Amino acid sequence: MTSVVQVERVTKRFAGHTAVQDLSIQVPAGGIFGLLGPNGAGKSTTIRMILNILTPDEGRITLFSGETASRDLSARIGYLPEERGLYKKMRVGDHLTFLGEAKGIARGAARQKGLAWLDRLGIADWTMRKVEDLSKGMQQKVQFIGALLHDPDLVLLDEPFSGLDPVNSQVMKDVVVEIARSGKTVLFSTHIMEQAERMCDHIVIIARGQKVVDGTLAEVKREFGGRHVALTFTRNGDRASEVLGDRSLVERVDDYGASAEVQLAPGGSADRLLRALVEGDVGLSRFEVVEASLQSIFIAKVGAEAAVAPAQEVVHA
Amino acid sequence: MHKILAVIRREFIERVRTRAFVISTVLFPLLMGTFTVLPAILLRRASGTKHVAVVEGVEGTFGVRVAQALMASRRRDTSAPIPFAVVRIRAIGRVDAVRDSALGRTGLSRKRAVADGLDGVLVLTEETLRSGKIQYYGTNVGSIAEMRRLEGILQPVVQRERLERLGVDPGVVLKAVGNVDLVTQKVAEGKLTGQSGEATFGLAYGMVFILYLTLMIYGSQVMTSVVEEKTSRIIEVLASSLRPFELMLGKVIGVGLVGLFQLSIWAGTALYLGSFGASFMGRMGGDVADAGAAAASAGGASFLSAISPALVIIFLVLFILGFLFYAAMFAAVGSMCSTVQDTQQVMMPVTLPIMLGIMTIFALVNDPNGTLGRVITFIPFWAPFALPVRYSITPLPLAEVLASIAMMVLSVIGVAWVAGRVYRVGILSYGKKASFRDVARWVRTA
Repeated sequence: MTSVVQVERVTKRFAGHTAVQDLSIQVPAGGIFGLLGPNGAGKSTTIRMILNILTPDEGRITLFSGETASRDLSARIGYLPEERGLYKKMRVGDHLTFLGEAKGIARGAARQKGLAWLDRLGIADWTMRKVEDLSKGMQQKVQFIGALLHDPDLVLLDEPFSGLDPVNSQVMKDVVVEIARSGKTVLFSTHIMEQAERMCDHIVIIARGQKVVDGTLAEVKREFGGRHVALTFTRNGDRASEVLGDRSLVERVDDYGASAEVQLAPGGSADRLLRALVEGDVGLSRFEVVEASLQSIFIAKVGAEAAVAPAQEVVHA
Repeated sequence: MHKILAVIRREFIERVRTRAFVISTVLFPLLMGTFTVLPAILLRRASGTKHVAVVEGVEGTFGVRVAQALMASRRRDTSAPIPFAVVRIRAIGRVDAVRDSALGRTGLSRKRAVADGLDGVLVLTEETLRSGKIQYYGTNVGSIAEMRRLEGILQPVVQRERLERLGVDPGVVLKAVGNVDLVTQKVAEGKLTGQSGEATFGLAYGMVFILYLTLMIYGSQVMTSVVEEKTSRIIEVLASSLRPFELMLGKVIGVGLVGLFQLSIWAGTALYLGSFGASFMGRMGGDVADAGAAAASAGGASFLSAISPALVIIFLVLFILGFLFYAAMFAAVGSMCSTVQDTQQVMMPVTLPIMLGIMTIFALVNDPNGTLGRVITFIPFWAPFALPVRYSITPLPLAEVLASIAMMVLSVIGVAWVAGRVYRVGILSYGKKASFRDVARWVRTA
């Protein structure tokens, strides 16, 4: 399998701390690749290095089977940064045209493509309006179009779904899936596991700048192993907690109050757990033997403490 | 190249389209006009007829002549009302008492529409003729121009009186005390240019002022625009698409073109108005008091004819090089800051040389080929000011002009290189404002 992005033993340090340490990633061509990790894990730094906005201190990054990362490749890459930003005073149509031109497409073509995308995402009426007149959701769409306008082979999306309402989120998800289906490669970062779980073919989890998990979603789940039960109860939460606290039955609980994901202890069985819960009269509404969710894998691998963002925002120097 | 053009076009169109651009284009000349013409008009208003009492403590015709001189005095080529209305009071032997009573009639009384309300009291005594000191008590002594005029009127009268008392023929005296008026004309390359001294200064000052304004307004716009791209975070998308240097260059050129565009609107309008309005300008120039007159009459035909094609080329070349030189620095400064407020402190090293630049003009006009002038023609910070000014005043060897321009081109390349490195790191740095030590590190490592 050819890899579109090859990150080899890359380290990036900023004044005072190491953002990325000895990181190796291979993004296969086609499909959706998830770069997961808690806030401050080094996701954005990694993406910026892939784009050559930042240069690694050590290691090397090659794109499209063997070409050194550089601005010359920017026409083949689409990028949605985590911090969204547009020229507020520009008209939407002009803005998209400019973003297209900045990627090297001719002016007329850029305008045409921009209009087609605006139409497709249902905001064609806003073409002549200024960006600042748009709602936040619409601005996000405009920026999203800006990343895809030039029909890139590789799309890097940094937290693409953050700050979107469910409807817009759905629209963008559909677009991302479609791009991937057309043979392009999508790499997106997120710290929301449910999304990644539904969309990604391949994931890498990084924490504190280092890789902790790498593989296709199926591989990762198989490797994590264990028997898991997802359950939802409607009453007597304290009794439920008591049952789930039994270490002979349950190895680990990911407790959400009215629902939980449970990893069974080596000696425990789903039958025994079910019996205990029924006896506890917790009003079970769901009891399902499942694969481990990405969320629980993430928590187990990264550790709860790493899920807390470091207090200091990353400052580049 | 295509990408740089896109950046230039965006900067230009988005700026020219703004209401701020349209308003400033229209408003600035109006303001400038108001600032030069208004004080002159006000000055003229204020210098309507002055009522002066001449207290004569001297025998003979001296008092009459002073009064006549005052009443006859007119400002050059004006149809303004008589400047002085004079009341003669003979007061031989009791000068002090008469003076005091006359002083009692000065001041506010005129506003109460009392006919003989006085603006001032002039006291002539024998002492006046000996020492040349004339006492004047007035409400308008604060007006330096008016006191100068009064002195000018009295001077020949006193001289004439003195000479006559010494027995010199009055006819001879009249001829002797006639006015001297220096009529200046600039000589260049052994030819008369038809350009007056005032026009020479006006031209030099005009060029420096245009450069100064453009650097201050459009240079700092480059800076603000860099900061705004950081604040709005659009910079990250741009940085992923364009080389930082392309971005910086496009921005500097785009903003610079807006400045040139605005200047050419102004220049075009001025030429157009000038073509049929020269006489109008001239009349205005004559009409207003001396301060405004110099500038306004210099705006007449002699001013325009003084601008040789060579000077225009030198000015434009240095103007463009100077703008690139300073704008690149402004861009670097912008990239060091995360908010527009931050820039206030960091921009000092850039704005200070510009301000010094405008100050050099006085030294340059006085002595265009002095050491200062020669030296700063080869210092990139000031060459854009010095070279056109010196060239407009005095002929310069072609070699010196070319050497200065070559130095400027090299400096622009050097500054762009350094600024590009600062910019490259700076645009992606957020948070604390970068110190100059940080910047030095960026330049080394970027």
